[in-house]
Amino acid sequence: MTRRVVTGSGSGMANAESYGAGRTARVACVFASLAALLVIALVANLCVGTVNVPVGQIVPILMGRGAGETAYQVIWNIRLPRLCAAAILGGALGLAGLLLQTLFANPIAGPYTLGISSGAKLAVAVVMVLILGDTQAMSSWMSLGAAFCGSLGAMAAVLAVSRRVRSASTLVIVGVMIGYVCSAATDVLITFASDANIANLRNWSLGSFSGVNTRQVALMAAVVLVASLVTFALSKPLGAYQLGESYAESMGVNVRSFRRTVIVIASVLASCVTAFAGPISFVGVAVPHVARRLLGTSRPQLVVPATFLTGSVVCLGCDLLARMLFSPIEMPVSTLTAIVCAPVVIWVLLERRGRVA
Amino acid sequence: MDSRADLTNETLVTTRDLVVGYEGRSLVAGIALQVCQGQIVTLIGPNGAGKSTILKTIAGHLDVLGGCVFLSGKDLRDVTVRERSRELSVMLTDRVRTELLTCADIVEMGRYPYTGRLGIATLTDRQKVREAMELLQVWDLRDRDFMQLSDGQRQRVLLARAVCQEPSTLVLDEPTSHLDVRYQIELLSVLRHLARERGLGILMTLHELPLARRASDWLVCVKEGKVALQGTPEQVFVSSVIDALFDLEPGTYDALTGDVTLPGTSGQNRGADA
Repeated sequence: MTRRVVTGSGSGMANAESYGAGRTARVACVFASLAALLVIALVANLCVGTVNVPVGQIVPILMGRGAGETAYQVIWNIRLPRLCAAAILGGALGLAGLLLQTLFANPIAGPYTLGISSGAKLAVAVVMVLILGDTQAMSSWMSLGAAFCGSLGAMAAVLAVSRRVRSASTLVIVGVMIGYVCSAATDVLITFASDANIANLRNWSLGSFSGVNTRQVALMAAVVLVASLVTFALSKPLGAYQLGESYAESMGVNVRSFRRTVIVIASVLASCVTAFAGPISFVGVAVPHVARRLLGTSRPQLVVPATFLTGSVVCLGCDLLARMLFSPIEMPVSTLTAIVCAPVVIWVLLERRGRVA
Repeated sequence: MDSRADLTNETLVTTRDLVVGYEGRSLVAGIALQVCQGQIVTLIGPNGAGKSTILKTIAGHLDVLGGCVFLSGKDLRDVTVRERSRELSVMLTDRVRTELLTCADIVEMGRYPYTGRLGIATLTDRQKVREAMELLQVWDLRDRDFMQLSDGQRQRVLLARAVCQEPSTLVLDEPTSHLDVRYQIELLSVLRHLARERGLGILMTLHELPLARRASDWLVCVKEGKVALQGTPEQVFVSSVIDALFDLEPGTYDALTGDVTLPGTSGQNRGADA
């Protein structure tokens, strides 16, 4: 019997750390690069557009100088709120995707693929068209609340299905179908909406970061900040959950309350995006994978912040391209996020298949 | 619990009149078993008899349908998930699929009940990880991706994780499946070491009868909704008992050698094995 003698003392102290070596350097490098990219994307979003503002002018304008000039107006009233929305909501989408992928143990889960964004969209449209009519304007809180209810509704449907089917792809197909049904219902509502509502609804149901004001930015920042902090605080159980529900439970995770928290937080994040920007496709699915690949690990303590940063960078980049490519015509940002992110999803699936089989 | 060192054969797990099953439907009833410090208890019996169900119920993954489970004298229903995780750790037959996690990451998860809010492993935790991995001879695999290992290697990594959780009882569902004979023997000798040297109680299911016979201190035979018999290996591994437990023709199991006699292949008894 070859039983090895266990020595826990002596040289053990120095050697005990000898796993995961080299990870620290890589992690530092990834976070530094993401931070740098984020700064570049923020500056580019401020400078570039139909009115180009030189980088040198940005700092004085942000300090509050030159209040009368066009550049000042453009930066403060249009570009700053818009890029804040892109950065905040991009991060929120990434985290929502990460939470859903862990909850369903499914690499292609995301707020869009599971129909949760579309559920939120439908709920907002219902409130806007059927309940408020064209006499009242919709407040940010109201659309946020409606979107949250819609997200939870779609989530409940997906959860009910997930209890019956074990196959990851079937779940996503059902999610996509739920998404189509909700989108179709939204289209029906748009048909019957009054002219004033139609313009709003059409724009919004395509997905866009434009048209948000400073107060909305403050609201979404507060909501997303709280939800992100909760997500980060969930890192530990999220890690344990990667081994499956039974193992997580045996390690001391209170599975029931953990699942409930994940569902609520993922819905909050997804509905915040939908309420303010409409459905933004594929960012939620792709971004967590990119973050994991960059870091070379799926430890949530690292992946959660990296996912937020990557989501922000991706959405800022896509929004910039959406504005720039065919300027002055602007493309829906969802078009670009799909072009950028869908290939990532396909690549992840192919690579997984190759590795596992 | 503090008196673990003096090995007084303290009772770790006791069940009284336990009923187990899925979704309210009972599968095995009237289970009375006991696992003491330093003792290896093995459940044997035909497929589908409910061995795994018993383990899952004791581990708290399935609801107790009737009777009681006591963990160190405390009713399982009054034990919090967190307390339970320090008393009892498991290795299951569930297929574990991870992405971009190294073996050390997996084993380190065993430290879950001991790490802080964010789950950052301290130096002591990392030493425990190393100790467990060396015990199971997977230390060389520490920085390898878990998914790139063979089934047998994964099995040992998962057992290292369970050991790293430092429970008083290990609950193992078919720990030797996927292992070749060399690792089966090594794994069982590790389990013996854990029981004898560290005083762990071990409750497991095994398919391989010769291994069950060699490794166990106590055997529990589960068949047709009840515990048919329990006893020491000498009491259980009697030809007539094993033949009856697995519905074999009398004389098929040779209690002396642990061999089985195959029914004659020349005749037309292909249908006899149903």
